Amino acid sequence: MSDGIVNIGYPELFAAALLMLVAGAVSWKLELGQTRNIIVSSVRAFIQLLAMGFILIYIFRYQTWWLVLLVVMIMLLAATQISVGRVKNQIPGLWLNVFISMFVSSVAISLIVIEGIIHADPWYNARQFIPISGMVIGNTLTAAAVAIDRLFADMDSRSNEMFSMIALGATPKEAAYPSIKAAVGAGMTPVLASLSAAGIVRIPGMMSGQILAGADPIIAAKYQIVVLLMFSAATTIATVMMCFLTYKKRFSPDGYYLDKGIRDPQPSRKKPSLFGKKATKEAPGTLKQTDKESQAHSAQKANNDK
Amino acid sequence: MALFEAQHIKAVYHRDGKVFHPFTDVSFSLEPAKVYDLVGPSGSGKSTLLRVCARMLNKDGGTFLLEGKPETAYAPTQWRRRVCLVPQQSVLVNGTVRDNLVYPWKLKINEGTQPPDDKTLKTLLEMADLPDIELSRDASQLSGGQLARVALLRAFATRPVVLLLDEVDAALDAESAHAIGKLTKALVDEKMTCLRVRHRSADGYAFGTFTLADGVMSYADNKPTDENAPNTEGGSLFDALKAIPDTEDILPEAHAGVEEGEGKLEALGEKLREREEKLKGTHHE
Repeated sequence: MSDGIVNIGYPELFAAALLMLVAGAVSWKLELGQTRNIIVSSVRAFIQLLAMGFILIYIFRYQTWWLVLLVVMIMLLAATQISVGRVKNQIPGLWLNVFISMFVSSVAISLIVIEGIIHADPWYNARQFIPISGMVIGNTLTAAAVAIDRLFADMDSRSNEMFSMIALGATPKEAAYPSIKAAVGAGMTPVLASLSAAGIVRIPGMMSGQILAGADPIIAAKYQIVVLLMFSAATTIATVMMCFLTYKKRFSPDGYYLDKGIRDPQPSRKKPSLFGKKATKEAPGTLKQTDKESQAHSAQKANNDK
Repeated sequence: MALFEAQHIKAVYHRDGKVFHPFTDVSFSLEPAKVYDLVGPSGSGKSTLLRVCARMLNKDGGTFLLEGKPETAYAPTQWRRRVCLVPQQSVLVNGTVRDNLVYPWKLKINEGTQPPDDKTLKTLLEMADLPDIELSRDASQLSGGQLARVALLRAFATRPVVLLLDEVDAALDAESAHAIGKLTKALVDEKMTCLRVRHRSADGYAFGTFTLADGVMSYADNKPTDENAPNTEGGSLFDALKAIPDTEDILPEAHAGVEEGEGKLEALGEKLREREEKLKGTHHE
């Protein structure tokens, strides 16, 4: 395995970081408002990846099943935090649902792949378990945020339609179903697109990495196929679960839709955010926006009443 | 006997963190075969009242009685199946006029009952002054006035007991609005009652008028005319549409709640069987 691996020295690694200066300079010069974001994200990626590398060395040496599971758990918590932070809508209890869906989909799919396809020994072998579950979690994270945003935005835009349906005796599920379909579709589109573009348009990241590190391209391709299929399965399970777990949060116990005019404004999240300072910073902004929208709605309603 | 009764209804909803009580003690009752108007100044809570009646908004107190049974006897979907609210902006589903008229039968709540046949649907469209609308026409091609009438027919075709109309004619021209009023009057028979929120001047079809102002509800009969007289003749069209069965799909505790004796239950079962037989008869035609 190790023949042909070209190590990157630390001076070169820091030199590569200078590339980010280009992006930063462009953003600063054009006043794109992303400068801070670029710096923070770059530094975070730098530190987090190196830290992960050091942790992995340690875990490979002293691996026990609980240590491996602990690492996966931390990754899941971080992923949940990040994806909930990306959701623009304020939905109480969303955090737990996202965590459950990601946990079920990523753990189930990782175990199937590791036990059934890669035949890792032992099953918790950190060299396989951690990178694979990490890739699955990372991929479902994006899909989860997209799907949930889409679900709640779509339900709001269909609130009149759902009102008519519910008035005729439809259950919340029947009323929300078109939105659930749209949300699952939106969450899965990127994964399906990357499946069809794989190998033609681009060599996916994992395969590139393996080839660069000196692996046999055929082995790399086989791994990549497994990984891509794994992504689509995990994304499907996660988005479907998430949509079915969360859509009811916008319905009252009596089964009518809580449209913007009668919705209780959500208290801003008080959970300490470990990994996304952005999330808490964004919260007041989003809240203000919903307030504005509901004010607009009530004004419109008052107009209608005339 | 009143078909629908509201006793001491108190409404509550939250908006922007504040609690609103548009009214705290509203009572009224609706009798079969009659159409009622509900008027009042803007913001007095008319739309809220209709939503509360259809259990599409929580109330803070009070009771509804539907044919003598309290609302707790029904699951919310079963209640809305019987107390049907038609909003101002009805949205039709994608598809043809026929798809829309039989849409309620795609829902779980109407599982096991047959949608009306094309002949019945055609008759309904004729009653709504829409004889030249084909059932196969795409719903997106309908004008506002036609759309409002199809939405009303869709609600009516399921034979709810109470029809609540929230300004269904507000956005329409005078002619379409009049057609809607006429249609409503023609549809409401002795097994049905109707409450309309309207802002247009009275069209003469309402038997009585409720006024909701400053949280107080008052009522006055309108001058009786031929046009607003209770509609007592059912006609074959109404038999063709299946009415809601009396006993099935009501929550079990309902029976305990209304203290029905064994004999009475049996009689109801008998009635149900008769009705089913009658229905089978109409389907054979």
